[in-house]
Amino acid sequence: MSLLDFSSDAFIVAFFLYCFGFLFYGVAALGKKWSKRSPEEHTKRWGRIAYFVALLGFIAHLTFFFTRWAGGGHIPTSNMYEFMSFLAMAIMAAFIIVDAIYRKPLLGLFTLPLVVIIVAYAAVFPQEVQPLIPALQSYWLKIHVTTAASGEAFFAVGFAAGLMYLLRTVDFTKKDEKSRREQRWVEFTLYVIIVIIAFIGSVFAFRGAGYEASFKQETVTIDDSGVENSTVNTVEYSLPPIFKPYNSQVVTIDSFLGIDKPLFETPHWMHGVDAARKLNTITWSIINGSILYGLLRLVLRRRIGAAIHPLMDGIDEDDIDEISYRAIAIGYPIFMLGALIFAMIWAYIAWSRFWGWDPKEVWALITWLYYTAYLHLRLSRGWHGSKSAWLAVIGFVVVMFTLIGVNLVLVGLHSYAGV
Amino acid sequence: MSAFENTKCTCGHQNPTGTVLCESCGYPLDPEEESSDAPLEMRYDGIARRSQKSNPSPIDRVWNFFSSVKVAVRLIVITLIAAMIGTIFTQENAFISFDPSTYYEGKYGWIGKWYYKLGFSNTYESWWFIGLLVMIGTSLVICSLDRVLPLYRALNKQQIRKHEQFLTRQRTVYTGAAEGPEAAWTERLAAQLKRKRYKVHMENGALLAEKNRFSRWGPYVNHIGLIIFLLAVLLRTLPGWSIDNYVTVPEGQTVKVPETKYYIKNEKFTIDYYADAELPTELKGTARAKLYETQAVLYDCSADCDDPSKTPKLTEVTRHDIIVNDPLSYDGIKAYQFGFDDTPKLKAVNPVLIDKQTGKTYGPFKLDMRNPQLDYALGPYTLELRQSYMDFALNSDGQPTTKSREPNAPAFVFVLKGPGLDEKGEPYMYFPKQTDKERFSQDVINGKLAERFDLKVPSMDGVEFAPVETSLNIRYDRAMPYIWVGAGISMFGLLLGSYWQHRRIWLRLDNGRVTLGAHTNKNNYGMRAEVASALRGIGIVVEPKSLDNGRNKS
Amino acid sequence: MKSNRRLIQVLIFLGVLILGGYAIGHSLFASGGGLPGKGQTPPSFALLDMDGKTHRLEDYKGKALVINFWGTFCPGCVTETPDLEEQYKKHGDKPFEIVGINLSEDNLAISNFIKQYGVSYTMLQDNNRQVERAYGLKSYPTTFFVKPDGTIMDVFIGAMGKQDMDERITKLLAS
Repeated sequence: MSLLDFSSDAFIVAFFLYCFGFLFYGVAALGKKWSKRSPEEHTKRWGRIAYFVALLGFIAHLTFFFTRWAGGGHIPTSNMYEFMSFLAMAIMAAFIIVDAIYRKPLLGLFTLPLVVIIVAYAAVFPQEVQPLIPALQSYWLKIHVTTAASGEAFFAVGFAAGLMYLLRTVDFTKKDEKSRREQRWVEFTLYVIIVIIAFIGSVFAFRGAGYEASFKQETVTIDDSGVENSTVNTVEYSLPPIFKPYNSQVVTIDSFLGIDKPLFETPHWMHGVDAARKLNTITWSIINGSILYGLLRLVLRRRIGAAIHPLMDGIDEDDIDEISYRAIAIGYPIFMLGALIFAMIWAYIAWSRFWGWDPKEVWALITWLYYTAYLHLRLSRGWHGSKSAWLAVIGFVVVMFTLIGVNLVLVGLHSYAGV
Repeated sequence: MSAFENTKCTCGHQNPTGTVLCESCGYPLDPEEESSDAPLEMRYDGIARRSQKSNPSPIDRVWNFFSSVKVAVRLIVITLIAAMIGTIFTQENAFISFDPSTYYEGKYGWIGKWYYKLGFSNTYESWWFIGLLVMIGTSLVICSLDRVLPLYRALNKQQIRKHEQFLTRQRTVYTGAAEGPEAAWTERLAAQLKRKRYKVHMENGALLAEKNRFSRWGPYVNHIGLIIFLLAVLLRTLPGWSIDNYVTVPEGQTVKVPETKYYIKNEKFTIDYYADAELPTELKGTARAKLYETQAVLYDCSADCDDPSKTPKLTEVTRHDIIVNDPLSYDGIKAYQFGFDDTPKLKAVNPVLIDKQTGKTYGPFKLDMRNPQLDYALGPYTLELRQSYMDFALNSDGQPTTKSREPNAPAFVFVLKGPGLDEKGEPYMYFPKQTDKERFSQDVINGKLAERFDLKVPSMDGVEFAPVETSLNIRYDRAMPYIWVGAGISMFGLLLGSYWQHRRIWLRLDNGRVTLGAHTNKNNYGMRAEVASALRGIGIVVEPKSLDNGRNKS
Repeated sequence: MKSNRRLIQVLIFLGVLILGGYAIGHSLFASGGGLPGKGQTPPSFALLDMDGKTHRLEDYKGKALVINFWGTFCPGCVTETPDLEEQYKKHGDKPFEIVGINLSEDNLAISNFIKQYGVSYTMLQDNNRQVERAYGLKSYPTTFFVKPDGTIMDVFIGAMGKQDMDERITKLLAS
């Protein structure tokens, strides 16, 4: 067995250990009502088991990382699969550090699912080791990417704690305008998370079933001298086409639930890279996410937030508020160092300018400005509690857009970090 | 915060306008604070900001505007949103040659039109974006100055004995009884605190322990770093402080580096691609670049540098194999691997003239694409070059023209003279590329002459291609050291302020009753743990959580 | 103490006004795309004419100067050439020069063009696009109107009509 195969196995082991860790944290939180032991003892005991399993998962993840490094010949942070799995690993490390400071078992209940989702998301991308293009052949690849991701990992823990704070404090029984608004937004946040899970689930379900469809798309462009050029590309789908590419013909299509032709055509004005496929994937994610959300609502017979809220009883909300803030305060300097200063140094060496307003650079700056505002609001304007928690939640959306959104939606020099 | 006139504290200290907590004893002066029992607002130790005055002049008003953190946060948020909008569509500077006034509308419709009209197509260089940065810079200076000086003074002359309310309204509070003689009790606690690296000051029945005060300066050091950084960025725009040029150098040639006295030579350009064996399955068969390398030599020019009629006198100063992450660097000048052009471009052909009737061939002769020789003698025949087109096309009037200066579709008009031909000569059109010859029907153009003569490249040996061109980005940036210094100072300040916390513990003993209050600018959790641990050291066991001044639920 | 504080305030505002004003002004007046703008001095050059003689920008100081970048491959350049020639003849008695800078084409193309259009003003050959790059050209033709004091009065991008040209040259000669 080669080192790389071993590495892939370790990745899968890590994934399942994280899942079990999450499960045990769930037992720690849920089971305290039925357990024969006192609730504190139950939570403590299962919290410790869950932590131990999660730690094993982290060790497996480290094994994956270093064996892949050895097997691939360069640090595995050079494409989306590698970066996302590194980010998940960094979030685990950040969680271990924050947990060591505060010893709040239930923080794991929120961090681990985040790690599981990111690991699963990483696996959506092609997993082969790709040799480095000249721009990436630098030791700054190690320094810049790892520090930036570590900073972001602390923001992720801040997000998990922020969400935890909201689920702890937002009272789902109240009916006044402010409470209703908060309830709606908490529920929406959970809905978005479910849509993301549905996206990953759909990709793997259809990949597992070997679903394929392909189209020939004709693109007409008019060049400077007014000559029409038309090019024909093949577009491959791995999800059944709800939207087919604009101006395209079916080449092959597997039937799904009796549907053997695309339902709609992507509008012509969507002409980004792979716009049609992305639209199709997003549509599938929203449909499946909504179905999943509906099922959960049926099973729970109330809003999901309202179902989670009672589990959080007995957790000191000030402590979570503090954890969320501390995680961000620890992550902020690391982020600035990795995503701005090291990035500037590398950009200066590789691209001859330390700053070029490339979309990825701008979004790193936006993230930095955002957390700068967060810290000033908290430290100088006294934004504590739910305001601060909301900022932590939104902040992570900004972080994820910087990491993923920029590559999927915008274009720029960091495009090699894409799919 | 309401305006309040009476700034004299009950302890007798005269405070400046705007003081929240008495500078001396810490008693809340702000009526709102005084009537509440929530933990005190300890920000900047309750001092008056420098700018707070009872009767502000216009300058003071502007000053106060920039001195407000609320305004600073708003500026940050506006900049953030502007930066976001700037990433929606590709910015103008990302294109090399295009017309922005039509591009955005053409590509994105009315949204693009307004995007361009509102100036977002050039967000980051626009006057209003720079204006925002200038305002942030101003705010950095004024906010810091306004707070750091009074804070420095307040921390430099601290009273040890504070008002009781000041202690009980901290976020970490302990009250209890002191066993045994007061002085001994205090000494024991002081010893514990000293072990935790606190600096302890005592004064009849009161104690002040303090550590890591330097962490309070972290944010200001950080702001100073940012200001230096912004100034350094501004410095780069001064004439002569930075150079940003591109040169394309064909292999084997030397070209002048614009705006400098240097010349650069491309001795060899190499592109390597990964072999299939090195690639994973999904990438096999694709050209994935492994290396771009220009073996460059830099020359200093000592004389005849900018006179194109003379050959410059060059002396080699350095040589370097430039690759993407490793530029050539000499005396502040850096040359970066930027791009290359390896599309085959015709450089010269060596055709022969064939007399179709006799089957005789004359030549070959060398025909350069650029600046060719004008007359050629081939046996009894002569060719005079009259016209050349690099990228042959017919214009709207049907006249021959060239579409560009690149030899994409070269065409030459000769006048052929010799036996059996008109004395003035007969025009003959020649397309060196076979595809062009067919596309533009060379034989039809040449008419009858085509039946007698043919110009032809006998084999591929007679075709020369232009060497691969490398393109280098030449940079000179005198402000870079300042930029790095600014970034470094800023980072250093951030570390100081983030990973250390300023902690203070006040204690007063009133007839055997202990009142302890502790304050930290960050991490109350750690503060409580430390106080609990110190108390445990003298035999008082308390849960850290129980020290939490529970009235802080807001 | 009080006046000291006021002094610091005034000094800081002065600094902000100067530095901030410079920064904003720089962004306002730096013409987009790197073309030297109105009021600026065009980059200097030293180029050969068709006879191999060196011409420098400095040689034209004190004269009203039109610098016209052109190429045979650019239809707009071709159409405006006769009008330029006409202007050159019309103002031949004044301290006025037109310099055509060819966009790095070869000798034959340039000399044929000069013959075909009877151009009598100075034609210079750029080499390897150096001057063109220094001027930050993005499209052709581009024409610079330089006042006798060496600063740019106007820049025209694209082919000029007769009137465009006449108006600008009249204004240039008046300056």
